[in-house]
Amino acid sequence: MTERLTCVLCPIGCQIEAVRDGEKLDVRGNECPKGVDFAVQEILHPKRNLSASVPVKGAARRMVSVRLSRPVPRDLIFPILDTIAGLRPEAPVRRGQVLIADVLGTGADVIATRTVL
Amino acid sequence: MTDRGPAAERHDVVVIGAGPAGLAAALGARRAGIDDVLLIERDRTPGGILNQCIHDGFGLFLYKDSISGPEYAERLSDDAAREGVVFAMEAMVLDLTGDRVLRVASAGGYRLIRAGTVVLAMGCRERTRDMIGLPGTRPAGVFTAGSAQNLVNLHNLKIGREAVILGSGDVGLIMARRLTFEGIKVRGVFEILPWASGLERNVRQCLLDFDIPLELSATVVDIRGRDRVSSVVVARVDEALRPVPGSEREIACDTLLLSVGLIPENELSKRAGVALSPLTGGAVVDETLMTGVPGVFSCGNVLHIHDVADWASFEGFEAGRRAAEYVRGARSGGETVGIGAGENIRYVLPQAVRRGASGVTLNFRVRKPMRGVTVEVRGTASGRVLARIKLSRLVPSEMRKIRIPTPVEEPLEIAAHD
Repeated sequence: MTERLTCVLCPIGCQIEAVRDGEKLDVRGNECPKGVDFAVQEILHPKRNLSASVPVKGAARRMVSVRLSRPVPRDLIFPILDTIAGLRPEAPVRRGQVLIADVLGTGADVIATRTVL
Repeated sequence: MTDRGPAAERHDVVVIGAGPAGLAAALGARRAGIDDVLLIERDRTPGGILNQCIHDGFGLFLYKDSISGPEYAERLSDDAAREGVVFAMEAMVLDLTGDRVLRVASAGGYRLIRAGTVVLAMGCRERTRDMIGLPGTRPAGVFTAGSAQNLVNLHNLKIGREAVILGSGDVGLIMARRLTFEGIKVRGVFEILPWASGLERNVRQCLLDFDIPLELSATVVDIRGRDRVSSVVVARVDEALRPVPGSEREIACDTLLLSVGLIPENELSKRAGVALSPLTGGAVVDETLMTGVPGVFSCGNVLHIHDVADWASFEGFEAGRRAAEYVRGARSGGETVGIGAGENIRYVLPQAVRRGASGVTLNFRVRKPMRGVTVEVRGTASGRVLARIKLSRLVPSEMRKIRIPTPVEEPLEIAAHD
């Protein structure tokens, strides 16, 4: 079975063809070696990062943007967003600060992506 | 009458705009040994549009890491501050003359500045409903994608319940996902061209991941609603991009986002007499990024629209380095030769190269998606091929680069063939 994928690791967006033979994948169309890892992950266990923006306590009308420290399985995006929705960190918040460690047991942390003093 | 205004300040390098290009330009000038570098920004926080781009995918080339826009902005502005760039925040340049006099309104009052060199880095603006002649009533609920991004990410506003997105530019695709995350139903993305104008990876991870339909060769032909948008009418278009009668379909929604193109913001450049290219909307520059006005350089989205912030920064570093060279009087003059956009090329930048320059890199975009492409740069007098690359595929949404290893001695033309 042949699957066609767009690699999302960089802006080039290689069109990858992966032929699946049992547990083995034959990958073509990638301009760099990361494309092979991407195809294996994308077909067997797709992962994504996500971002959001949450209000900061003690900093009037200021928002802090957040993301995950690493990608998580794609089907956990909405459960994690629900968890982040209740987040109200207190100022000051520093860029890179862990706001939720190991969110939903994924091993990924929710981190602040800007500094709000 | 005597001039009762403030005495003019002097600065060696003045950069206008502290986005990804301007921050890098200021750093580039400092790193090239210029002590007096002033970076002027009208916002309170440096970073420009990066501050509202909270998604990841920035910095892959500059920082070898996939970070968000705000992180990229903070890292670059921390570097600039640490390395001695002087910031003038909440300061807006009102006027720029061809002999590099700037009139600036700032929180501290009016400033008159004489600059050794000026680097233009004002970024771009979004194309609006008026500019594409979108018919219909004029209710609330019609936003450009970037202003929606600002309202949602920086002001925590819920902009609607159900949205349609016109245009498949990257900001529109990013916002389709962002609205989905915020619980707003995205009914579809409609693109008038037969291909997506945003990056492939954004089509994948912003639309396909969430089953958001992307309809190509289709556009919005009517906006309905009194106080608030109540629906839009979409229609297929033919090869001449005209709506096909009978293909109309009404979609209920209360929000319409427009992601229909970006335009370099060159009002100041025009005041200074900088010649603009009708193809890029930005300045005509040589390989040093100098405009037709001596001592005035341009970089980032004010020069041409970039798909990736990192490339805007790399262009900024180069503009800053070249501005420093100009201030030191180390620039060699000389006549330039033209670089033309040939078959299948939408634009090429720079548009001119100083005769004898070597190691010149040309930026270009193609007109249409192509497969198995050969891109060639030829001397128009000799017919000699000076550079050639082969690519398995090439799309208009990707800016590509080609390097010319040998010195340029004649006018050139770049072309792409299947």
